[in-house]
Amino acid sequence: MIQAPGRSRATLLALIVAALITIPAADSLYRVPVQVSDSLEPIIVAQKAGSTLSHLENSITFSPTTFRPSRYLQARWLLQVADTTGLTYNAIFRGVHVALLVLLVLLFLLAVRVRDWTDLAALTVAFPVLIGIHTFVAMLLEAFPVNHYAEIGACALAVFVLAQRPPRWFVPVVVCVLLGCALSVVESGAMVWITAICCAAAGLPGIKRSTVLATTVMFAGYLVLRHALGIVSPGIGGHGSGFGATFYSAEELAQRFGAHPLGFMLYNVAGGLASLLFSEPRNGVYSLLIAWRDREIHPVVLINILSSLATTSLLVWYAVTRVSTKRSAWSHAERAFAAAAAVFLINALLTAVYIKDEIISVGGLFYAVCAFIAVRGLIESLPRRSAAAALVITAFLAADAALWTFRVVGVHYQLRYAAFKTRNDWVEVLREDKQDGWPHDPGELALTRRLRGEALERRTTSPSFMPRRGDRYWVE
Amino acid sequence: MGGVIHRAIIATPCAALALLGAWWSVGAPLGGGLWPPDTVTLAEAVATRNNAEALRLIQQGADPNRPGPVRDGLLTNGYDVVVLPVEAAVAAQRADSLGMLLANGASVDDRELRVLRCLERARHDSGVREILDARAPGEPDCNDIRLPTDRAR
Repeated sequence: MIQAPGRSRATLLALIVAALITIPAADSLYRVPVQVSDSLEPIIVAQKAGSTLSHLENSITFSPTTFRPSRYLQARWLLQVADTTGLTYNAIFRGVHVALLVLLVLLFLLAVRVRDWTDLAALTVAFPVLIGIHTFVAMLLEAFPVNHYAEIGACALAVFVLAQRPPRWFVPVVVCVLLGCALSVVESGAMVWITAICCAAAGLPGIKRSTVLATTVMFAGYLVLRHALGIVSPGIGGHGSGFGATFYSAEELAQRFGAHPLGFMLYNVAGGLASLLFSEPRNGVYSLLIAWRDREIHPVVLINILSSLATTSLLVWYAVTRVSTKRSAWSHAERAFAAAAAVFLINALLTAVYIKDEIISVGGLFYAVCAFIAVRGLIESLPRRSAAAALVITAFLAADAALWTFRVVGVHYQLRYAAFKTRNDWVEVLREDKQDGWPHDPGELALTRRLRGEALERRTTSPSFMPRRGDRYWVE
Repeated sequence: MGGVIHRAIIATPCAALALLGAWWSVGAPLGGGLWPPDTVTLAEAVATRNNAEALRLIQQGADPNRPGPVRDGLLTNGYDVVVLPVEAAVAAQRADSLGMLLANGASVDDRELRVLRCLERARHDSGVREILDARAPGEPDCNDIRLPTDRAR
């Protein structure tokens, strides 16, 4: 168990296995330069601000549909850290991404609590689920310029970890701080409140009525504040999203569904849930429909669907075999399963207006938690089964783990591809033949030039030198 | 005993991944990890759509008007070639790479322009054609032109 490292060899081995898989992932993540899209603009805005307070005030007016003061504040603080330490901007911003990855892995290990060899065997299936699920790589690749969905995921997992421990006086305070931080970063921060509510509803010991009350008041206050600031929720047409086999632009969506959005919203919610459970659709687009239309299916689609289908069937088995048990008689694991399942089911509701893998990334983390509990339950049941049944179940779990492991290798492939693409994006910034489009502000020009120079210095191999069939197996 | 075997079988894929991770982690500082370094010539960088690397090489002093070797499989099948970076851009059907080279010191005289236009006729790309036709409209005469990607005799 993580709480007592070294006491169990299984715990120690779990840490080693997680570290050996996470270190290369961190390396691949670190090699992606600071992005141009979504990152350059907030960094420049942060640099231009006269003071942190004025920056905070200005950030409220940046968008009529978003309230994300910490997005800009974080960029400002990280710039100051870089200037103070003399480190490169890339080292600071990408270092934060790596730190968040490590934090997520540690919180996941704390959430699943490996204590014995059965736990460890379950972890060897669930950990590849955590890293290999498509929502996790989407979480890693997102950058505004910090990957805020990873921050939300860390906050939600931290609440889940606290919920599993005995109640302490400081829990309401800590959960409120986590909720406040999350809500100031991105609207999906609401998932932290949802996690607290789900944990309380499932009867996990750490979240008491006081925490539920405090976080609910805080969340209500957040909604009132948004309303008072004139910030509205985005409607259909604010972002592009998929429908069927096609991805539509924001304008196309507004034209197509703007007058009668309910059906499209239901489609999105169902799609968000299906994406978590079956890896389809992706961003609202069903690859299976494309495969049907083109009479050709890429292996990546099959691998993703089969692995998710196998794992989801485990979750369904676990839930069905315990559905008749009264809530008061639930074990700790069953309460944790119920809470985690409720979190990822509710997460799908956040995709009502448009679907993005990042939006359901918190759900992906809790899907992996559920996978751990279900796999553990199945392994535990093996001694009570016939030898043939035990062998079949073992083969099934090993095959499922193998598919997810293959998906984890694909995460490296996708990160490497992203590093190449992101670095190339910087070639289009400050082009020699378009100097009339360069920033006029000397500070902005110097900052842009430095970021561009740092990105170009991060040598990245072209995908032309990567395995030629990689796209078919790892890129959807 | 059966339980141990079952757990070991289930853990095998993840254990293999962890060992692979260990190999990548150890190999990284030694230069042979998951992301092995790959040294390319300017022409190869262009041929592999690696505009950022091409620009870095130019900024470090690589001559955008000097031919360089391109490995088999990147522009050709079965043999290596030595081509100018602009020829690599046209052969790779990369208008963005061609534009980047022209903006960063690559020069194209009349003879080379004819070669490039004939190369584009063999490897069609509307973006590349637009850039080249802006310099010399009309159909090029490709009768006595040997394409730079042809196998050397």
